[in-house]
Amino acid sequence: MTPLQLFLQQLANGLTLGAIYALIALGYTMVYGVIQLINFAHGEIFVLGAYAALTVVLTLGGTGVSWGVLLAACAVAAMGWCAVIGVAIERVAYRPLRGAPRLNPFITAIGMSFFLQNAIMLVYGATDRQFPNPLPLLRWETGGVTITLMQVLVWVSSAALMVGLQWLVMATRLGKAMRATAQDLTACALLGLPVNRIIAVTFAIGSALAAIGGLLFGLSYGTINFHDGYLIGLKAFTAAVLGGIGNIPGAMIGGLVLGLLEGLGAGYLSAQWKNVFAFVVLVLILLCKPTGLLGERVAERA
Amino acid sequence: MSSRRALRQLAAAVLSLLVAGCGRHEQVITIGFVGPLTGDQAPQGDDMLNGAELAVEQAAAQGPVIPGYRLAFMPLDDQRSPTQAVAAAKKLVADPNVMAVVGHLNSSCTMPASAIYHQARVLQISPVSSNPQISRQGFDTFYRTCATDDLQGPAAAIFIVKDLGAQRVFVLDDMTTYGRGLANELIKKLTALHAEVLGHEGITQGDKDFVPLLTKIKSLNPDLVYFAGMFPEGALLIKQRTQVGLSSRFMGGDGLFDPVLIDLATPQAAEGVYLTTIGSDIHQILTAQSFVKAYEARFGPIGAYSSYAYEAASIAIWAIRTAGVKDRAAVLAAMKTLRDYPGIFGPQNFDAKGDSLIRDIGIFTVKDGRFAFVKTATWDTR
Repeated sequence: MTPLQLFLQQLANGLTLGAIYALIALGYTMVYGVIQLINFAHGEIFVLGAYAALTVVLTLGGTGVSWGVLLAACAVAAMGWCAVIGVAIERVAYRPLRGAPRLNPFITAIGMSFFLQNAIMLVYGATDRQFPNPLPLLRWETGGVTITLMQVLVWVSSAALMVGLQWLVMATRLGKAMRATAQDLTACALLGLPVNRIIAVTFAIGSALAAIGGLLFGLSYGTINFHDGYLIGLKAFTAAVLGGIGNIPGAMIGGLVLGLLEGLGAGYLSAQWKNVFAFVVLVLILLCKPTGLLGERVAERA
Repeated sequence: MSSRRALRQLAAAVLSLLVAGCGRHEQVITIGFVGPLTGDQAPQGDDMLNGAELAVEQAAAQGPVIPGYRLAFMPLDDQRSPTQAVAAAKKLVADPNVMAVVGHLNSSCTMPASAIYHQARVLQISPVSSNPQISRQGFDTFYRTCATDDLQGPAAAIFIVKDLGAQRVFVLDDMTTYGRGLANELIKKLTALHAEVLGHEGITQGDKDFVPLLTKIKSLNPDLVYFAGMFPEGALLIKQRTQVGLSSRFMGGDGLFDPVLIDLATPQAAEGVYLTTIGSDIHQILTAQSFVKAYEARFGPIGAYSSYAYEAASIAIWAIRTAGVKDRAAVLAAMKTLRDYPGIFGPQNFDAKGDSLIRDIGIFTVKDGRFAFVKTATWDTR
C-alpha cells in the first residue's frame, strides 16, 4: 500500500463516520435554527432509531425478505418512530416552556436526555446488542483503495437525504415557513403562520434524520448500546457548532470535517489522541471564525 | 436482565429490612460484594455476583458461620467506574457488619478501592483484578484468587512467538489499568524473545469506530494483532478488521473471555481468535466439578469469572469462620493462617503480597462459534 493509497483509504474511512455525524448534526442545527434550543435529547433519538431498526431486522430477518426490502423497512420504521418521539418530546417538554428564559428549556433538554437514556436501558437492557448486517459483504478495489458496499450505502443515503433536506428547506412552502419561523417566531405567529406545527415538523424531520444515522451506525459498527447516544450526540453537536449552528449546509460540512479529522488523526497521529486532535482543530477554527465555518446566520440574528 | 436482578435484590433487601425491623434483634455478619452490575460489563459483573452469592448461600445453609450471627450478603454496583468503586467501598466500610468484601472486577476499580478497605482494616478478596501493581501497594488487607498480568502477558508472548510463530506484532490496549498493564508486560516479553513490536496504541473504552486505526495497522502488515482490553471493544476490533481486510491473526487477554464477544463480533469474524485466560479450563479441573454442577443448576451456563468470585467468597467466609468472632482485625489475622485451603482449583495458598499461588494461564481459541481450550500455557517471568 503506497502512502497515497493509504491516504485515500483513510479519507474514505473518515467520510463514512463524517456522513453519520452530519445526519445527526442536522437535527441539532435545525432545532437550534427555529427555537434557539440545544436539544440535548437528540443523541438519544439517534439511539432510539438504531434500536427501532434493530427490532425490525430481528423480526423480519428470518423471513427471507431481500436485504433491500429489509433495509427499507428498517428505515421507514426508525424514521417514523423517531419522528413521533421527537414531536412528543417537543410537545411535552419544550412547548410548555416557550417564552420562558432560555436556560429553562436547556435544563429540560438535559433532563429529557437522562430520562430517555434510562428508559432505553430499561427497555432494551444495559448490555451491548449485536446489530446483524443483512448487507452482502461486497467490496471493490480501485487503485489499492477498498470501498465496501456499506460505505457506499452510507455515502449515497446521507447525500440523498441532505440534498432532499436542502430542497425541502429552500424550495417548498413548508421550507419557506420554517425559514421564516427561524427568522422571527413572533412575527410569523402574528401573520397567522401555524408556528407550533412548523416547529413540530422541524423536530420530526430532525429526528427522522437521526434515525437514519442510527440505522447506518448500527449497520456499520455492528453493535449498539443504550449510552452510545452520549458520545455520538456530543460529536454531532460539535459538528453542528463547527459548521455554524443554525446553518443546514454548515452541519453537513461540519460533520464531514469532524469525521475526516478523527479518521486522519487516528490513522496518522495516534488512535489515543484522535479526539484531542479533532477538538484542537475545532478550537482553532472557532478562534479564527467564532460563528463556525458557514455561520453567518448567527451573526445576522445577533 | 441485570435490571431485573437488581430489582430482585432490592426487593430482598427491603424485605430483610422489614423483617429485621419488626422482629427480634438479630446479629448479622455481612459479606460485601462490588462489581459492575449495570453498564456494558454487567454480564461479567453478574457472573461474579452469581458465584459469590452461591458461596454465601451454601455457607448459610450449613448453619451459622459464627454462632448467634446470620450471614448476610450486600452486593453493590461500581459500573466499572473508579469513582463509583470508591463510593461503594466507602459505603461498605461504613457498615460495622461488613467483615469482608469480594470485589471488584476491573483493576482500575480495585486499585483505588483497595486503599479504602486497607484504611478500614476490611479483608478484600478480588476475584479477577489481575494488574500486578495492586498487590505491590503493600496492603495486608488485599488478596486475589486470580493469576496476575505479569504472568498472563509473558504467557501470551511465549505462545505468540513459540506456538504461532508470529514475529511482527502490533499491540493495542484500552488505556485502563488492566489493559495498559497487560500490554506492557506482553511487550516486555516479546522484546525479550526478539519479536518485533510494530507499534503500541491505545483506544478509548466506548469508542466504536476503529476502521482508521485498523487501516493503518493493515499497512504495516503484522503477523498478529494483540488487544489488551475488554470484550465490547475487542469484538468491534475483531469485526472491523475483517471489514478493512486485515488478515493477520488476532489475540487478546482474559477481558475477551466471554461468549458475548463471539456474538458481537459475529462467529465468522471471531473464528481463529486466540486469548489467554486466568486459570485453566474450569470444566477440566476435577475439584471444580461439584461447584460447576451447582452453579449451572442454579444460574445456567457458567461465566468466565464466576468460579473466581465463588472461590473468593468461600475463602472470605472461611476466614470469618476461623476468626470465630465478629471483628475485622481477627478476620485479617485468620486469613494469614490460611494454608492449603481446599478450593475449587485445588489447594489454595497466597504469597506475602496476597496473590494466589495457583498461577495457571489457559489458552483458548474460537472454533465454530465457541471457545475451545487449546492448552495450559507455559510462562516464566524472566
